Amino acid sequence: MSGPTVTLTADPTGPTGPSAPPSGSYRTAPVPVWSRVVHHQLFWPVVALVLLVIACGIKNPVFLDVEIRDGHLFGQLVDISRYAATPLLLALGMALVIATGGIDLSVGAVMAISLAVSLSYLDGNPGAGSVGTVAVAVALGILVALVAGVFNGFMVSVLGIQPFIATMILMVAGRGVAMLITKGQITTVTSPPFKYLGSGFVLGVPTPVVIALLALVGVAVLVRRTALGMLLESIGINREASRLAGVQSRNITWFVYILAGVLAGLAGIVYGAPTMAADANNIGLMKEMDAIMCVVLGGTALSGGKFYLSGTVVGALILSTIERAVIIFHIPSQITPLFKALVIILVCVAQSPKLREYLAPRRRRSVVAAAVAAPAPTKEEAR
Amino acid sequence: MTTTAPAPRTSTPSPSEKKPMVRRRLGRFLAPEFLPIAGTILTFVIMLGVGQARYGGERSFISMKLFSNLLQDNAYLLVLAIGMTFVILTGGIDLSVGAVVALVGLVIATLLPMGVPLPVVLVIGVLIGSTFGLLIGVLVQYFNIQPFIASLAAMFLARGLCNVVSVQSVAIKDEGFASLASWSVKFGEGRDIWKINLSMIVALAVLAFAFYVLHYTRFGRTVYGVGVGDDGNAIQLMGLKAGRTKLWVYVISGTCAGIAGILFAFYTKSGFNLTGIGMELDAIAAVVIGGTLLAGGGGYVLGTGVGVLVYGLIQVLIAREGLDSWWTKVFIGVVLLGFVILQRVIVTRRKR
Repeated sequence: MSGPTVTLTADPTGPTGPSAPPSGSYRTAPVPVWSRVVHHQLFWPVVALVLLVIACGIKNPVFLDVEIRDGHLFGQLVDISRYAATPLLLALGMALVIATGGIDLSVGAVMAISLAVSLSYLDGNPGAGSVGTVAVAVALGILVALVAGVFNGFMVSVLGIQPFIATMILMVAGRGVAMLITKGQITTVTSPPFKYLGSGFVLGVPTPVVIALLALVGVAVLVRRTALGMLLESIGINREASRLAGVQSRNITWFVYILAGVLAGLAGIVYGAPTMAADANNIGLMKEMDAIMCVVLGGTALSGGKFYLSGTVVGALILSTIERAVIIFHIPSQITPLFKALVIILVCVAQSPKLREYLAPRRRRSVVAAAVAAPAPTKEEAR
Repeated sequence: MTTTAPAPRTSTPSPSEKKPMVRRRLGRFLAPEFLPIAGTILTFVIMLGVGQARYGGERSFISMKLFSNLLQDNAYLLVLAIGMTFVILTGGIDLSVGAVVALVGLVIATLLPMGVPLPVVLVIGVLIGSTFGLLIGVLVQYFNIQPFIASLAAMFLARGLCNVVSVQSVAIKDEGFASLASWSVKFGEGRDIWKINLSMIVALAVLAFAFYVLHYTRFGRTVYGVGVGDDGNAIQLMGLKAGRTKLWVYVISGTCAGIAGILFAFYTKSGFNLTGIGMELDAIAAVVIGGTLLAGGGGYVLGTGVGVLVYGLIQVLIAREGLDSWWTKVFIGVVLLGFVILQRVIVTRRKR
């Protein structure tokens, strides 16, 4: 999904170092295929995912089965992709935000707000069962999420406040706002069309998966078939320089936060639809961390300037596979965070330039070591 | 301004300026880098004024009892925020502290009934924090992993370990622990009685120590320096040990989280795996309200102390007003917003 021009940069920390142009063709000597594969940014995440799936498959052979029941797909793998939908929706927006060198901590709270607004609208509405009313409810939820994104974007791009702190304000206050909307209660409604958004099927595929895929394709087309993705990355590398080069950095940054907000609103509705209960205190709790984890597992560095949508998808799949694997191995599900931590640490260490330097062939090591030892900022080095 | 150019950082006030004492003090008050803290103090005073006006009545709202309660209820937060100040001054972040607090509480609650002596348990508690700090520091310093992700991993790790230890709330019934937790010196009489307890003493001691380290030692100057020059490269060229300092601030923050975990256990007399969710954000918010720049390099640890008091006072006022507790979150968000914008205005003005 990510543009071929970027993914071809086989080993960005290679001996050519920071001075190399960001294209795949800078090496004069041909690179062996295995080396390209091993140094591809998707290599370690995919290895982690495959290992997880294999481990689950050995423990429980039924794991890999996918069957068609009543015209719908069923099976553990289908469940995993269904669970991956919410983090993926969040992570898509997050990946773009991170590409601009920012971060959006408010997505979990925005999920709660959006769901609270949708369900409050449906609550007591006589037309809660009709598609039209549900469409309005969803639109309202997403509209509020959009406003949240506008706020975040305004703080970051116009006022120039650090993204971490700017979005933390909504993260802290947002949950309080969601509680105000639901008046501190857990709002529960019954509405078949709304429930369909979370637990229905489209042509045999779970609705959340379809929604997430549509969002993925939409975002991918938006950033990879237009120049937007490149402009985002240029902002992440050096905002001032890209502004001077004529990139509308303010508007683009603003847009990215709005998009992240909208996707978070959608994620909140998809996440809350199966239960149709808006629990403002718990919906989306720590989900921003999960989303960031998906993005980082996919090979995107938090320092910005680069993003991989395909990697983000793999990250979301890893996340939901871990959650499923814990159940398959009969481990108490509360221990899931432990495995998340181990996977984050392993993948991050595997991706770290230091380890690559250590694993690099002898003749190259000295060159790379010299490059690393030089007092160049890590940000540049990683590029 | 469209730039996100890292906010200009302030330098440590050098104690060796050769100006008359009074003018030096006054100048420092009016210096731009002091404005955020002036804002914090002003907010605190205004909030106290509002409280006095609304709930003054026959018994003064502003009283030793109020301050004593504020400190008592927020001692753990103060210690956390002090550790966080070190990390933020270097431009980093530590998201693991809330989870570490929960873990330390649980470990104390499990070890004490097993007959492990109290002093040993307390030391283990602090060391758990230091170990997590060390882990983050190593990941940040030696594997070039962003602090955000490294501490996020540590957070998940600590939460997971909490759930391994116990998923139920464990009451701490140990007598020695209870006597430590309830030890206090009482002052005043009648309804105005106020006290000094162990948590307050520990928190204030940590604050004093942090103040000394940050402003009067070479290490403290290096901490400020790491936040200023190009990820520590500038001061590395000056011969200061930026790398080691970057490692140490996380150990300090972790150790503070360990101490805070013990104080929190004193406060709740139990360990629970779900305590401290979002506590790291409370700590970060207190640091930011206290005037430390999140970009690193500027701020005062005493400001963090006032930030924690503002944070606690918000809760007191909300409770006195009879509002539901979720208003606290909204208000804290609004106060944060105010301070962030204030910081931004100051920074922009100084750049011109």
